Amino acid sequence: MATVTFDHVYKRYGEVTAVSDLSLEIQDGEFMVLVGPSGCGKTTSLRMIAGLEEITEGSLRIGDRVVNDVAPKDRDIAMVFQSYALYPHMTVRDNLAFGLKLRKVPKAEQEKRINEAAGILQLEKLLERKPKELSGGQRQRVALGRAIVREPAVFLMDEPLSNLDAKLRVQTRAEIARLHQRLGTTMVYVTHDQVEAMTMGQRISVMSMGLLQQVGSPQDLYDHPKNKFVAGFIGSPAMNFIDVPVGSGDLTIGGFSFPVPSRYAESIKGAGRTVTAGFRPEHLDLGDMAGPTGTVTGKADVVEYLGNEELLHVSVGEQEVVAIVDSSHRVRPGDIVNLRLPANKLHLFNAETGDALVATGE
Amino acid sequence: MTTSTASASARTVVTGKRQRPHYFTHLFLIIVSLIWFLPLAWAIYTSLRPYADTGGNPRGYFSIGGAYNFKNFVNAWNQADLPLHFLQTILVVVPALILILLFASMVAFAVSRYSFRFNLAMLMLFTAGNLLPQQVVIVPLFRLYLALPMSAPLSDNGIWYDQLFGIVMIHLAFQLGFCTFVLSNYFKQVPKEINEAAVVDGASVWRTYRSVLLPLARPALAALATLEFTWIYNDFFWGILLLRTGDKFPVTSALNNLSGQFFTDNNLLAAGSLIVALPTLIVYFALQKHFVAGLTLGSTKG
Repeated sequence: MATVTFDHVYKRYGEVTAVSDLSLEIQDGEFMVLVGPSGCGKTTSLRMIAGLEEITEGSLRIGDRVVNDVAPKDRDIAMVFQSYALYPHMTVRDNLAFGLKLRKVPKAEQEKRINEAAGILQLEKLLERKPKELSGGQRQRVALGRAIVREPAVFLMDEPLSNLDAKLRVQTRAEIARLHQRLGTTMVYVTHDQVEAMTMGQRISVMSMGLLQQVGSPQDLYDHPKNKFVAGFIGSPAMNFIDVPVGSGDLTIGGFSFPVPSRYAESIKGAGRTVTAGFRPEHLDLGDMAGPTGTVTGKADVVEYLGNEELLHVSVGEQEVVAIVDSSHRVRPGDIVNLRLPANKLHLFNAETGDALVATGE
Repeated sequence: MTTSTASASARTVVTGKRQRPHYFTHLFLIIVSLIWFLPLAWAIYTSLRPYADTGGNPRGYFSIGGAYNFKNFVNAWNQADLPLHFLQTILVVVPALILILLFASMVAFAVSRYSFRFNLAMLMLFTAGNLLPQQVVIVPLFRLYLALPMSAPLSDNGIWYDQLFGIVMIHLAFQLGFCTFVLSNYFKQVPKEINEAAVVDGASVWRTYRSVLLPLARPALAALATLEFTWIYNDFFWGILLLRTGDKFPVTSALNNLSGQFFTDNNLLAAGSLIVALPTLIVYFALQKHFVAGLTLGSTKG
C-alpha cells in the first residue's frame, strides 16, 4: 500500500495542455475516483501514475519515492484497462501468471496467488479458457484478477465498467467496492460516470479541461460544490441553474422567487448585480413545506413516469427546470405547477466566475 | 382475417428476401476456372503418356488413347537429379523464410508500436524498396556479389557470388519491405492497450515482442509464410543470375536439365514440372486456413 502524490504536475502535448497544475494527495488505502467529462485529463493523470505518459513538469510520488523517471514495471502498480487488454492468445491462467513470471515469482507462489484471486473473483472454472471464450463480465473479472495477483501498492482502473451492460455494471461496481474493502489497497479509479464516482469513491476528484476543480467526499461534493461545474456535474439529473438579479429583498425573476438564505447574506453583497441560483431537481416538491421556501412556477411540458416518482420538465418563461416529485401527484403535461424549494437547499454562484458564494454559519 | 393478412405479409417478406439467381456470374466463374485449370490438366494428361504416343501421333498432344503410366515421373526424378535440387531449394527457402519473417516482424513491431523520430520515414523506406523493379539493379548487384567477401562456411569461394547464402540474402533484401508493410499494418490493428498491459506487467521491449505481439501475429505470419514460400520457391531469376555451379541450382532452375539442346521431351518436362509444382500446392493447402484467416483479419471486431 502507498500514497500517491501529484505535486504541481503538468502534462503538455505540444501546445495543448492536457493536465494543468495538478496537486493531489491520495491517501494510503484510499479509493479515489477521478471523474470528469471526456478530455478533462483524468485518464492522462492515471496514465502518468502508471508511467505510460511522461510528466512534463512537476513531480509524482508513490509512497516516498519520486517516480517521474521510474519505469512502469518498477512502480509497484497494476492497471485495469478500459478494454481489459487481456492477452488473447493466453488462457486465463496464463494471463494471470504473466506478470508474476516476469517478476520471477516462484511457481508455488504463483499458483497460490492465482488460486486466491480466482476464488475471490469466481474464476476457478474459467482458468483454462481463452479470453474469446468469456463473456464481457468474465473478461472484466480476469482483468481485475490480473491486477490482484500482482499484489501491487496501487491499483489503477481506467473506466473498467464502461463496456458492460447496465445491470452487470451495477453488479461489478459492488464487487469492486467489496474488493477494495477486502484488500485495503490504494485504488485510483477513473470514470466519466458521476453515479459510479458517487457510489464507489471514498473521495472524488472532479476534473474539467485539465484542471482539478474540487476534491472531497461524495457528500461534500453534493452538498457543497465549489463551483457551478462541480454542482452541475455531480447529481443526476443535473442541478438547475438560473441567473437572477440581486436586489434588496428576495431573488426574483419570471416564475422564480427565492429568499436569500441567511448563510449567503454577507457574500451576496459583493457578488455583483446578478447571481446564479442553483437547485437540484430532487429538492423541488409540490406540497407545502415548513420553514422559508422558494417557489418555481411554470408549465409541465413533459412528464416522465418512473414508478415511485415523476420527472417533470417545467417551462418557466424561456427556462426549462427539471424536478423530481412524488408520482402520487399525477401531474399531467400542460398542468401549471407551483414547485417549492427549501431555502437551505439553494446554492448561489458568482454569475461571472461560476464560483460558489461563500456560505457562513453552517 | 387477421391471420390471412399476417400470412400474406410473411410471404411477401420471404419473397422479398429471395435473391435472383446469378446465372451470368456463375457462367463467368466456370469459364475462368476452366481457363485456369486447362493448362494444368493438359500437363497432367501429357505427363502420363509416353513420348511415342504424342510425338509420333499426327494429332500430337491433342490425341487421345495409348498407354498411361507414371514412367515420366520416375525418369524426371532421376534424370534431373531432383532430390539434390530439392535440397538446394530447401537450403534457400527455409533460412530465407525464417530470416524474412523474423526481421520483418521486428521492424514492423518497432515502427508500429513505438513513436520515434524516424519511424514513419523508416516504414516508407521499407515500403518504397518494395516497389523497386528487381531487374533494374541486376548489373550493380552482380558486380557487388563478385566483390563482396564472405568466409566459410557460408561461402566456398570467398565471395557472395555462386553461393546459396547469396540467394538467401537477395530474397531477404527484396521481400523484407513487403512483409514489413503487411506486418506493420497488422500490428497497428492490435490495441495499444495490450502493449501497455504488458509494459505495466513488467515486460521488456523484447519480451513484449516475443511473448505478446508475435504470437498474436501468427495468422499474418502464416499467410506471409505461404506467400513467401511460393515466391521464393518459384524463383528462377536470381538462381540463374547469381549461381554458376549446376549442382547448386534450386529445383526450379534445375528443370532446365530436362531440356536438351536439340530435342526436348515435353512429356518428361511436364512430369518434372508437376513434381516441382507439388510442394507449393501442399504448402498452400496445409496453410490454407491461416492464409484465408490472414486475408480477412481485422474485418470483424474481436
